[in-house]
Amino acid sequence: MTITDFSVILPVTLLTAWASILLLAELFLPRAQRPFLALLAALGLALTLGISLAQSAQEFAPGFGGMVVRDGFSNFLNVLFLLTGLFGVALSYRYNQRAQIERGEYYPLLLFSVAGMMLMGQAADLIVVFLALELLSFPLYILSAFAYPRPQSEEAGLKYFLLGAFASGFVVYGIALTFGASGSTDLARIVASVAAGSANLPLLTAGAGLLLVGFGFKVAAVPFHMWTPDVYQGAPTSVTAFMAAGAKTAGFAALLRVFGAAFPALAADLSPLMAILAAVTMLFGNLIAVAQTDMKRMLAYSSIAQAGYLLMAFAPFEIEAARTMAVAGALFYLLAYTLASFGSWGVVIALEKDLDRHLSIGDFAGLARRSPWLAAAMTVFMLSLTGLPPTLGLVGKIYLFRAVIEGGMVWLAVIGALTSVVSAFYYLRIVVNMFMREGEPAVEREWWLEFAIGAAAVVTVVVSLWPFPLFEWAEWAVMKLF
Amino acid sequence: MLLSEANPAAGLFVLVPWIVFAPVIGLLINAFAGKRLGERGVGWVASLASGAAFLVSALQFYALTLHPEGAQVKIAEWIRIGQLSLDWTFRVDSLSVTMMLVVSGVGTLIHIYAIGYMHEDVRFKHDPARFPRFFVFLNLFIAAMMILVSADNYLMLFVGWEGVGLCSFLLIGFWYDLDTLGRSSWANSNAAKKAFITNRVGDFGFLIAGFLIFWYMGSFAFSEVFAAAPEVAKTHPWVITAITVFMLVGVAGKSAQIPLYVWLPDAMAGPTPVSALIHAATMVTAGVYLVTRSFPLFGLTHDGQYIVATVGAVTALFAATIAVGQYDIKKVLAYSTISQLGFMVAAVGMGAYVAGMFHLVTHAFFKALLFLSAGSVILGLERGHHHGHHAPSSPVLPPQGAGNSLSHGEIDRVKEEVFDPGDIRNMGGLRARMPVTFWVYLIGALALAGIFPLAGFWSKDEILLDAFLHYPHVYWLLTLAAFLTAFYMGRQVWMVFFGKARHEAAEHAQESPSVITIPLIILAALSAFGGFINLPFKGFHQFGYWLEHTLGAIEFPPFNFMVAGVSTVLALGAIALSWFLYQRKPLEHGQTDPLAKPLGLVFVGMEQKWFIDEAYQFLFVQPYRALASWLAQKVDWDFWHEWFHDSVLVKGFVTLARLLADPVDLGFIDRVSYWLSDAIRASAETLRKLQNGFVRSYALSVVLGVAAILGYLLLK
Amino acid sequence: MDASQIIFFLSAALILVSALFVVTARNLVHAALWLIATLFGVAVLYVLLEAGFLAVVQVVVYIGAIAILFIFAVMLTRRDLLSQSSQTNANWPVALGVSALSLAAIAFIARGFGFSLDRPLAPVPTDSLERLGQALVSPQQFVLPFEVASVLLVAALVGAVYVAMNKK
Repeated sequence: MTITDFSVILPVTLLTAWASILLLAELFLPRAQRPFLALLAALGLALTLGISLAQSAQEFAPGFGGMVVRDGFSNFLNVLFLLTGLFGVALSYRYNQRAQIERGEYYPLLLFSVAGMMLMGQAADLIVVFLALELLSFPLYILSAFAYPRPQSEEAGLKYFLLGAFASGFVVYGIALTFGASGSTDLARIVASVAAGSANLPLLTAGAGLLLVGFGFKVAAVPFHMWTPDVYQGAPTSVTAFMAAGAKTAGFAALLRVFGAAFPALAADLSPLMAILAAVTMLFGNLIAVAQTDMKRMLAYSSIAQAGYLLMAFAPFEIEAARTMAVAGALFYLLAYTLASFGSWGVVIALEKDLDRHLSIGDFAGLARRSPWLAAAMTVFMLSLTGLPPTLGLVGKIYLFRAVIEGGMVWLAVIGALTSVVSAFYYLRIVVNMFMREGEPAVEREWWLEFAIGAAAVVTVVVSLWPFPLFEWAEWAVMKLF
Repeated sequence: MLLSEANPAAGLFVLVPWIVFAPVIGLLINAFAGKRLGERGVGWVASLASGAAFLVSALQFYALTLHPEGAQVKIAEWIRIGQLSLDWTFRVDSLSVTMMLVVSGVGTLIHIYAIGYMHEDVRFKHDPARFPRFFVFLNLFIAAMMILVSADNYLMLFVGWEGVGLCSFLLIGFWYDLDTLGRSSWANSNAAKKAFITNRVGDFGFLIAGFLIFWYMGSFAFSEVFAAAPEVAKTHPWVITAITVFMLVGVAGKSAQIPLYVWLPDAMAGPTPVSALIHAATMVTAGVYLVTRSFPLFGLTHDGQYIVATVGAVTALFAATIAVGQYDIKKVLAYSTISQLGFMVAAVGMGAYVAGMFHLVTHAFFKALLFLSAGSVILGLERGHHHGHHAPSSPVLPPQGAGNSLSHGEIDRVKEEVFDPGDIRNMGGLRARMPVTFWVYLIGALALAGIFPLAGFWSKDEILLDAFLHYPHVYWLLTLAAFLTAFYMGRQVWMVFFGKARHEAAEHAQESPSVITIPLIILAALSAFGGFINLPFKGFHQFGYWLEHTLGAIEFPPFNFMVAGVSTVLALGAIALSWFLYQRKPLEHGQTDPLAKPLGLVFVGMEQKWFIDEAYQFLFVQPYRALASWLAQKVDWDFWHEWFHDSVLVKGFVTLARLLADPVDLGFIDRVSYWLSDAIRASAETLRKLQNGFVRSYALSVVLGVAAILGYLLLK
Repeated sequence: MDASQIIFFLSAALILVSALFVVTARNLVHAALWLIATLFGVAVLYVLLEAGFLAVVQVVVYIGAIAILFIFAVMLTRRDLLSQSSQTNANWPVALGVSALSLAAIAFIARGFGFSLDRPLAPVPTDSLERLGQALVSPQQFVLPFEVASVLLVAALVGAVYVAMNKK
């Protein structure tokens, strides 16, 4: 064990330790001081973010005999996950007080989940991938049920847990098959065994297919998506916001890492599969979202549809040149999605006064008059999710579509473009409601929430005007991945 | 950057973008914090911004004296499409720096003056809240004008060109809902629109010139265009002429030449500082600058030069005749401006660029001075009117600053009698009441009339000399115009400042505060001594030598006593004639102009501006309106909506629909569509059933996916 | 076919049959007992593979702790141990078809692995337990997954406590 080993897992270690301390801290804090926990959690995330950023200049380094690595990819994702955590805390702070779920376990669990996500970005061994998947999922199951004994929340937590466990079974099975086929769970050694010709390719392919099931569940790709609307609707909205961004990003981190690093040899088999998955997900998610009237369900289907766009990044894997750009585009799009998703869920939180009543799209009517800045921010997020200027969503989609077209899958890009048009219908319906319908929405004014929403909106617009440094960072992040 | 390593002075060139940034910063501050800063704060921010631009310009001047070759400072890429490559590049050479100094120097003085002027103006118009807006526009104008004069390519120049046009529009219509007398009216906004639309005609010409330039020379950058021009002149000689003529259309719009000058007199609807800065000293000279900047093009086409010079000379004389018959103090100056711009355009048309630019500079001094003094006179009369008319008797007058709450109708009721503070028939005898204004106005008037040794004498004489040597017809037109210039300025000075007050407002007129008079005195000094920058004697052509760095070697004709003598004698004679007509027996209240009788119809023509506005109304506006209403009513409504839409489309459609409805629709389509909608409903029902909330169904969906994936991997 | 193969088939049959009964038994306690049988069959497989340690762990942890816990939980929480409702819903043919399809697909793919009754077992080193212990704490091998698993358990424990203890 060397210093490098520790330095590689330093951010994760720090966050885990911080979460454990936070668990204890709650014991010593009087009830009135509970809000202080949120601040502590944010502090821990910020500290870890600082360390991650400080490490981002360092070179590629494996740790613990190749179990984990630190590279540009993991650095990019670490930053993204920590931002996700910070956003999650900001959105939870006052909401949890309102929902009366301000308990000491909340923030430690959130931090554990973030630690799992970060580990997912760094994992270089299928065993670590699996453990990271569980570490990020378990707290989410519990957080979904956190509004216990409110039945919707309980139901959401249970459903998520059962189906999550079911999906994890496929991951384990996939890992087993992969191990059987290649004799190793280490991603680098899997590649080596394929290169040496000693691997059993059909078995490896089946293993990859089953892994795809497990990760597809996490990112809510069709047909593994069905838990999404129920869980997103039932879970406390602050948890949903965190989950919609974090779990999806982590799932894609696993997909990008495993399929990008370990299975390039299978690209010819897997690329069409990914393309079909992407197409089905885009079609299904967008079409069903059109029919939703409940805001949370609509956003849930929207997040399914967004997963479809992200899956497009795997379609051009067969073509070497397009691959780097596609993965960089996916990372870029993940950032854009994270901001827009958090922003729109934040607006939902701001409007969700009565927690037992479902927030419908009609409840947005008149928001522009009541709270023009909030409406403007929501408009930015909706535009970004649709992929219209001047937002990061547009830039991300352009990068993704370009990669897909260069990968030779024009039909997929066409489906993506067409379904984007469909998505404009339900996203812009909210904008129309906000600006053109009369209504008296009750808006909660909460400083942290407004700050988070505002920051997300400003970044979404401003960075889209000059996105090249960010994209260069994303490209640099995937440079060493292959 | 090699330059800056060699000499620190050359490093100053990189500062040049600040001539634009400084006013932009100023306008941003005022736009966002104007309400909080208060009038004094707004005024100083704007003036400092303009002053900073002047300081930077002065530094450029200093750097240029050491490095006459100048510099091009690129700050950003602009357009990269195909072979078109454009940048935001600032060009520092003696020509652009001359314009920078004039614009920012005169501009700063006018900013300071405007602090005082607008302070009173917004109160006379009962809307003090508009004060910051004025300075935002003014700073925007400085920024746009600086872009115009420092551009390194025609497209960037066009950005500035349109920018100043926009500012002109905004500032003419500053009191868009009032007229010059403070009554509720759309007169000012109509004047603004007139200016804008007339300029569109000119811009159209400029754009065509720009397209021709790009088409034949493949670039917009000055250096590349000028380098390519001789080759094009050889292969397509008519192209250069066409470019210059279309450019002249643009010049005629911006610099108010025949036939597009009509907007400038109406533009006097803007506040007086605007008239001075935009419509006398700087913006209207943009056309002159454009011709001078494009001198390599004009040098290649004699026809183009001839047309430009003739248009300028005819405009000079024509506008001068109108100025003789005007009664509004600013209108006289407006026509005088058109006339003087004619001088400049004629000069640059003849290729006498130094003379034209020289007159541009001196004219900027003395015409700004005259306008600002006229503003001071108007304010004096307003004060007198206020003092003599309302203050003692009428408690109805709203307190200062509370005017916002009054509707314009109420203001009208308060002002029972309409009083025009700009009408020189209401003035008289102001010499004693407004001594500072009188003296500076006198200096400006004499400079404009071309009396030795004031600035106007030297610059006008140089134009006349060039015309005398090369273009005799231009010489005679301009000499006559110079005679009329001296006459109408004499008429104005006698009527405004001498004799008796013809209105009680003039009796009670008061001198303006020092924030107004100090800029006037500075401008008066410049008007008096500004001519010495370019004396027509060997070794004294400082301005000419300066411009030589940009314009190439220039030939300076020797001073000609005959030309100078004739123009001086004519000017003195005109002043004497005006004394004979207007001062020997001063005008009484209500008396007609003594010229009216002897000149008869000619004077009516002068007074009514030769009915050009009416002619345009008849020739262009009315036919255009008729065409528009014909298109709207007959073509669009009657033909398109009524006939085509209702008769052809609707009837045809109804017929077709009937035809289709029975056999086709009911028989076939209906069945298919019912089947389709049933199918969609059924599948939606299935989908809804799938999303039934049961975990087992969801798990089934997952397994379905597993089977599909494995099946695909097996069967592919 | 030698003795170990006979034992293999017997225990495989035990696993499959008892697993089937786990999901079809109407009485929850019976289902739990069938689960124990299934887990026991798996333990037998471990023994056949000469993985004695795993077999012991399987018996001690799964049968001795988890399955017993199940029985306790069932007996403590359910008043009605016998479920009367239908055990299948309308989707069962679809589910059956899809599951069969997946099974067939996996079997088809796994066939390529080259399973054979004649192939001898790979020799198991005598110090396999020692090696396992070392692997779990070796920085070059599994110490990180080991630690992550413990963090995971902490998180799960916290969650379980939260869900169980939270009485308003």
